[in-house]
Amino acid sequence: MKYFSFIFVLLITLALGYFASVPIGPAPPMGPLMDPNHGFWQNMYSEDEIAEDEIAIPGLQGTVTVTYDENLIPHIFAQNEEDLYRVQGYVTAQHRLWQMEFQTMAAAGRISEIVGPIALELDRMTRRKGLAYGAELGLAYLKEKDPETLKLVEAYAEGVNAYIDQISSAQLPVEYKILNYRPEKWSGYKSLLLLKYMSDMLVGDRDLEYSNLRKILGEELLNKLFPEFPVDNDPVIEADKVWDFEPIQVTKPDSLNFPNDEWVIDPLPQPEEGTGSNNWAVSGKKTKNGYPILANDPHLSLNLPSLWYSMQLSTPGHSVKGATLPGALGVISGFNENIAWGVTNATKDARDWYKITFKDETRGSYKYGESWRDSEFRIEEIQIKGQESFIDTVVYTHYGPVVYDETFKSERQDINFALKWTVHEGSNEQKTFLMMNKAKNHADYNAALDNYTAPAQNFVFASKSGDIAMRIQGKFAVKWKEQGKFFMDGSDPRMEWKEYIPNAHNPSTLNPERGFVSSANQHPVDPSYPYYVFDNSYEHYRNRRLNKRLREMENITVDDMKALQFDDYYLHAAEALPVMINLLGSYLPNDESAKKYMQELKSWDFYADPNQKGPTLFSSWWSKTYNEIWKEWAEFGVPVVRPSNYQTVKLLKEEPASQIFDWGNSANIETASDHVKKGFELMVEEMKKWEEDEGDYAWANFKRTKIQHLVPQFNSFSVENVYTGGGSGILNATGSRHGASWRMVVELGSDIQAFGIYPGGQSGNPGSKFYANFISKWANGEYLNFNLRKPDDSDASLFITTFVPKP
Amino acid sequence: MKFFGFLILTILIVVFANPFIPYWAVMLALALLAILLNPGNAIAFWGGGLGMGLSWLGLSLYLSIQTGSPLPEKIASIFGVGSGTILIGITGLLGFLFGSFSSLTGSLFRKITKKRPDNLYRGG
Repeated sequence: MKYFSFIFVLLITLALGYFASVPIGPAPPMGPLMDPNHGFWQNMYSEDEIAEDEIAIPGLQGTVTVTYDENLIPHIFAQNEEDLYRVQGYVTAQHRLWQMEFQTMAAAGRISEIVGPIALELDRMTRRKGLAYGAELGLAYLKEKDPETLKLVEAYAEGVNAYIDQISSAQLPVEYKILNYRPEKWSGYKSLLLLKYMSDMLVGDRDLEYSNLRKILGEELLNKLFPEFPVDNDPVIEADKVWDFEPIQVTKPDSLNFPNDEWVIDPLPQPEEGTGSNNWAVSGKKTKNGYPILANDPHLSLNLPSLWYSMQLSTPGHSVKGATLPGALGVISGFNENIAWGVTNATKDARDWYKITFKDETRGSYKYGESWRDSEFRIEEIQIKGQESFIDTVVYTHYGPVVYDETFKSERQDINFALKWTVHEGSNEQKTFLMMNKAKNHADYNAALDNYTAPAQNFVFASKSGDIAMRIQGKFAVKWKEQGKFFMDGSDPRMEWKEYIPNAHNPSTLNPERGFVSSANQHPVDPSYPYYVFDNSYEHYRNRRLNKRLREMENITVDDMKALQFDDYYLHAAEALPVMINLLGSYLPNDESAKKYMQELKSWDFYADPNQKGPTLFSSWWSKTYNEIWKEWAEFGVPVVRPSNYQTVKLLKEEPASQIFDWGNSANIETASDHVKKGFELMVEEMKKWEEDEGDYAWANFKRTKIQHLVPQFNSFSVENVYTGGGSGILNATGSRHGASWRMVVELGSDIQAFGIYPGGQSGNPGSKFYANFISKWANGEYLNFNLRKPDDSDASLFITTFVPKP
Repeated sequence: MKFFGFLILTILIVVFANPFIPYWAVMLALALLAILLNPGNAIAFWGGGLGMGLSWLGLSLYLSIQTGSPLPEKIASIFGVGSGTILIGITGLLGFLFGSFSSLTGSLFRKITKKRPDNLYRGG
């Protein structure tokens, strides 16, 4: 009997121990997670509560001091750059390890390893786009051409690994505990991969959709609805800029044929609507204090942990502060003792698609001119949590990878497309930022930018010596008109990119007459620029609002620039609403609510402030109307893009009776005012339902800005319903999921005054008080002091950590 | 008295060893403690269970109060468990189950391996 009881109880005990150590369904092992000594309970500590005075890490040459200010912003003081980046790696990993690894896993197409088969399609897509391939080429480039940068990239990686090596199970970021995996070693390759990931986030193309539209609408209508330059073009580089270089000549070949099919495949995922940015600099002659002021606010997905991490990085030779990307070296948008710089996206159709004609089913060779070229095969092994690996074979041509083929996302077995993208060429973006961090003047800034390939950016610049500048930098192909606007035939060598625009011919300006430089993702140049410029995603509202304000403002202060970043003026509404009200005429549904809404719209001042009702009513009315106008395009049955808001408003205003408004087969002839009326009715319907279900329809309540954790299922790690104004197409571009991911204003006087904020917090730990503590300030348009600190400033510091060499 | 002695020894093991070893090693340690001390089945079960359960409950409660962190609420929401307070309860319960069955296993093991002493006068 006693043997029986022993065995019985032993089995219960073993079962308890065992089942607590294995995942059950999607749930992680309960034992390690709930153990208050090692599990999530330990992640409740904020960073200042577990601060260490001294940390020894291998490879350090001297002592490095890190002073944290009250916002947990580290200020790293090192004796040389290698030590600096080593400690940058360590400190970033201390606060953001899970995020930096997760982002590079995403970039490498390895999410299935963490979450299982649910991410397989995503991973296949990422791999077939060749981001990892691009990062490998980038690493090879560094090994061959730039050992200096490589050394620093490796020091950073070793710093991250020094942290990973000593991390206790208690301090492991909570996401690892919930998702039940462990961090792997960091490497220089991963840092490069992160920069490729940024390209992927920011670069899109609409070749597929334009190819379809060209077939369906014909050239003429396509050009009318999608003009390559808008009438009110207010480009990044001032329109009266004189181009003082001899351009490389390229002529459109005669008798070209674009592949003329309608494609029914799904397009590549595009950058999210609302992704974009503002930056500008005003010269001293327009400012109150006589110093240049520079401002930058990149708009990206609003995520937690935040994409950005603030730091000051100092050696005896330089001191730079601003926003870093966890995983990449140096500061990405910031300032030093001499200059400030910032970035906005400057895409210019950097991705093109070539139809590949394979010789036979082995796909071992493909037609190019009169001959056949050999293709290469890259085997992608995608490991899947809880399953066997998936093996994907991607065919590479000299253009680039064949993203769609018979094994992936193609319902048409005869079609293969190769993706031509500058991301697949060896490049050295990291060096740009390393050099920019130390730049002292305009010449240094230009030298730094010469290394930069992708994703193309509008780099704004201002210096203490009084210069302001803007340069659009990326690696752009010299294209003939419409080259790459549509799918191209890869077997025709005339379709191929031949040369790249020399850096010296990239659009740039220094101290323009108007006293400011600015960019807001609009067209880069005036049509007089001697190279072909095309992209579907150029923006038409923020740039005009921004430039109008900058033109009229004088005696500008830092506070004025902060206010401009937070400017809620809804230019699209200001242009569209009068036209819509006019088209509505005397029509008003006989309904109390409808009358109330119309009254509110008519009395609205076009500011999308959080407490306003006008922006809610307008955005609903507009989106219903827009959808009414173009909804028949869905019946084309193939992916297309719709005309922009700007172009649609223009049509409503100038050609309300045009046939364009009469798509589809309805018996009545439809005009602009029919769509506007229908849109109004639908808006009334939507708003009445909203009032019934949700109550208040003030703008902030309606748009519901959400800062979302990188794992959307971890909803409680997100911050929802942030009370703030703005929206897509507004300078304060904060929509429901996108917006100013970082705001910075720097005045370059004798003592540099700098301010910054981002919607998140320095800590990546959802249990820390520094996880989301900036969000309410950010939502109110407030800033943190970002002034440079000196090594001996110890006032207002949270804690200080000294890094020493580990013997 | 024996019960409190065993309880306190269990608590000491959990409090001082658990920060350095995983929960299953604590289970092993508690089984060994019961084998060594042979407290009897009931005392092993309740002393081991309450010892580890209270230690875990106490530590999670202490951390919650000390840090004021919103994390327990967030974790509770992800796993669909009402609230952070319930998580403290679950943690305590889990500790109790680990502790009680580990100690009882040790105690029962001691019973089957303990030789009946043969040099004692048993009467009769």
